[in-house]
Amino acid sequence: MTSLAGFGVPSLLAALFFAGVSLVLCLVGATRSSERATAAGRRAMAMCFAATGLAVVALLTALFAHDFSLAYVAKYSSRSLSGPYMFGALWGGMEGSLLFWTLLLTGFSTVALERARASTPRLVAWAGAVLAGVACFFLMLLVLPESPFTALLPVPADGTGLNPLLQSPGMLIHPPLLYTGFVGFSIPFAFAMAALLSKRLDASWFTSTRRWTLFAWSALSIGIVLGGAWAYTELGWGGYWAWDPVENASFMPWLTATAFLHSVVIQEKRQMLKVWNVSLILLTYALAVFGTFLTRSGILSSIHTFTEGPIGKWFLPFLALMLLGGLGIVLARLNELKSENRFDHLMSRESAFLANNVLFVAAAFAVLWGTIYPILAEVTSGVRLSVGPPFFNSVFIPLGLAIIGLTGIGPLISWKRMSKGAFGRVVRVPLAMGSVTILGLFISGVRSVGALLAFGLCAFTAGAILGEFSRGSRVYRTRYDVGPIRALTATIDRNRRRYGGYIVHLGVVLIVIGLAGGAFKTERHALLSKGESMSVGGYTLTYRELRQSSSPEKQINTAVVDVASDGHDQGSIYPQRNFHLAQRQPQSEVAIRTGPIEDLYVVITSFDQDGDAALRAFVNPLTWWIWVGAGVMLSGMTILLSSPGPARVRARVPREIREPAAATR
Amino acid sequence: MKAMVIATLALVVATAAPALANAEDVANDISEHVMSPYCPGVTLHDCPSDRAVELRDKIKDRAEEGFTRAQIMSELEAEFGPTIRAEPPRSGIGLLAWILPLFAGLGAATFAWTILRKWARPPDRPEDYDPDVHVTTEDRRRLDAELAKMRGPA
Repeated sequence: MTSLAGFGVPSLLAALFFAGVSLVLCLVGATRSSERATAAGRRAMAMCFAATGLAVVALLTALFAHDFSLAYVAKYSSRSLSGPYMFGALWGGMEGSLLFWTLLLTGFSTVALERARASTPRLVAWAGAVLAGVACFFLMLLVLPESPFTALLPVPADGTGLNPLLQSPGMLIHPPLLYTGFVGFSIPFAFAMAALLSKRLDASWFTSTRRWTLFAWSALSIGIVLGGAWAYTELGWGGYWAWDPVENASFMPWLTATAFLHSVVIQEKRQMLKVWNVSLILLTYALAVFGTFLTRSGILSSIHTFTEGPIGKWFLPFLALMLLGGLGIVLARLNELKSENRFDHLMSRESAFLANNVLFVAAAFAVLWGTIYPILAEVTSGVRLSVGPPFFNSVFIPLGLAIIGLTGIGPLISWKRMSKGAFGRVVRVPLAMGSVTILGLFISGVRSVGALLAFGLCAFTAGAILGEFSRGSRVYRTRYDVGPIRALTATIDRNRRRYGGYIVHLGVVLIVIGLAGGAFKTERHALLSKGESMSVGGYTLTYRELRQSSSPEKQINTAVVDVASDGHDQGSIYPQRNFHLAQRQPQSEVAIRTGPIEDLYVVITSFDQDGDAALRAFVNPLTWWIWVGAGVMLSGMTILLSSPGPARVRARVPREIREPAAATR
Repeated sequence: MKAMVIATLALVVATAAPALANAEDVANDISEHVMSPYCPGVTLHDCPSDRAVELRDKIKDRAEEGFTRAQIMSELEAEFGPTIRAEPPRSGIGLLAWILPLFAGLGAATFAWTILRKWARPPDRPEDYDPDVHVTTEDRRRLDAELAKMRGPA
């Protein structure tokens, strides 16, 4: 062994020990109201994090030292793998990704428990127990069936190397962000369960974890978009979302978490939907763990799925315990979870939020159902069938469009109640924008009903949101007599939660515009000899030559393709078809010329000894807006995360308890 | 305004029709509706395998020969089995895949509507009732007037 890998197994055993200690101490702290035990449990969690960190350092040093005496290092790295991708190799295989997951879990748990220690001790104690229990489960996986430190004999001279598709800058960011999202939901989940267990069912559990929820949701959102960007630039099929089971696994918790982020506002403002909110965060975390199970059990076939492993049978009992235990405790606390208020009127923002929640949960259910249906059908009837993108598009797109419509309606309606007349006044401008957009597109020749509705609803929602910005800054300008830019920035700054949320919504609208552009994509495929041309969209592509070169990792074959549009020369693009030596695997590198109107996307699918090349070319309208929308979302998330937390809702304690002196006077 | 929106949508729905211009568009559309026999869990359109490229070319050839979409799909199903279709059939066991999300969605919507109606305050409250802030009708009128003044002319 030429590295610190020898520290790996002892570190994992130590981490498991400290997680167990933390679990016991936090349980003692919770059941005996012992703050000392809780504080010791918190410290044990910090030690667990430190030991897990040491295990990660051990694996990283083994990767960088090319210590092929470890099976993991031999399988997921090679001598020619460049430095940054050694970090990618850390989460490129199942065992390493579980280790990374556990590092995040113990790290987040340490920080969350430390930050929340000032709040109710019993809440923190129960949350600590839940988090330590989850950490015990993942550390047991790492110690027993999926150790990244398993020895390999005989020791090979070189490793197999990381999958070439994973050797992309996006893959250095996308998986950590997804894991951050998945693991981040552990914190609100643990505090929700702690609230139920400790009967502390006021707002403290979600005010303590509001930033964690937003942080996890933001990381998952950006992670999902980056996954799409990776697929678009690396996989070479001209798209970014394939309703692949693993994509679905990340999308389902995103949908329920988005519902939670909206419905928790109702609890915050009106002390309503308490059962719904704890159920939603339970469902979100269960779906995150279920996604991990799907990814690692080998039960579903997917381009992303890790090879079939033995850990599926570990995940199912854990998932069942979490779901049944969580639902059981929710049912046991139904009386304490009764709403303190009622809806005042059907025409209210509360109703819009509830409708939005129903749509998000229905969408999550539709995606879950489509993902698991092939297994259910085969198990129950022996019939094998496929559920692919056409099914998901048919089921999800109507729900998605309804959600976009509600995104526009929500901000227009006031809390508690709104008269029809008042609603009519605020909705007419956005409605006109939507209708004019549909008519304009229709007159200009667009005939896709889905695209027309999507663009119309996007215009409606954008109009509604921009109207909110306009109204807000106009009030500020009227009051303080300042310029429009100053008024706008001050308006956002004074209410970052509200306007940060609107900016996120604007980002979503831009993403939907980009997605709707997919209805107009053009695709052509041709086998070309040097000097021959093909047409796609308004472009003429002329294949000039094939240039060959090599690097230590791969043989590189670059096609020089001249681009012309309407007879005008537009320069050249350079798609590649490379052969990775360690993996003996070909891989295409896409050439993309991107812009706000459309992307020209060219891939070499094959070439022969004479240098003839098969080119696949796409013109993808408006795809650029997906990435711009993600950037806008990110800026909105940053504003949201920078906002001060909601004023802590005072626990509804009777006056004589809250003010004993006054009561006894 | 309502009439304008309904008229717009009616016009769009009545006259919209998908149009696939040529054989290659038909072939691309088919490849998006069948699973790849060579890449598990991926449609033929998205599969990077060389054999997938050959199968896409074969579908294109069929389309150029004048075979209809249904004929090509049947031919693929005969060759590769029913799992080649990327969506479950709308009959038998496959029907459940389609109708359950529909029923679940309708059920959830009905449940939400029922909850909303149940939770909405009974109509015997005074018109100007507000549990937290006691605002009279006169206050509301003044507030509306001030807001209208602030918004400026419509």
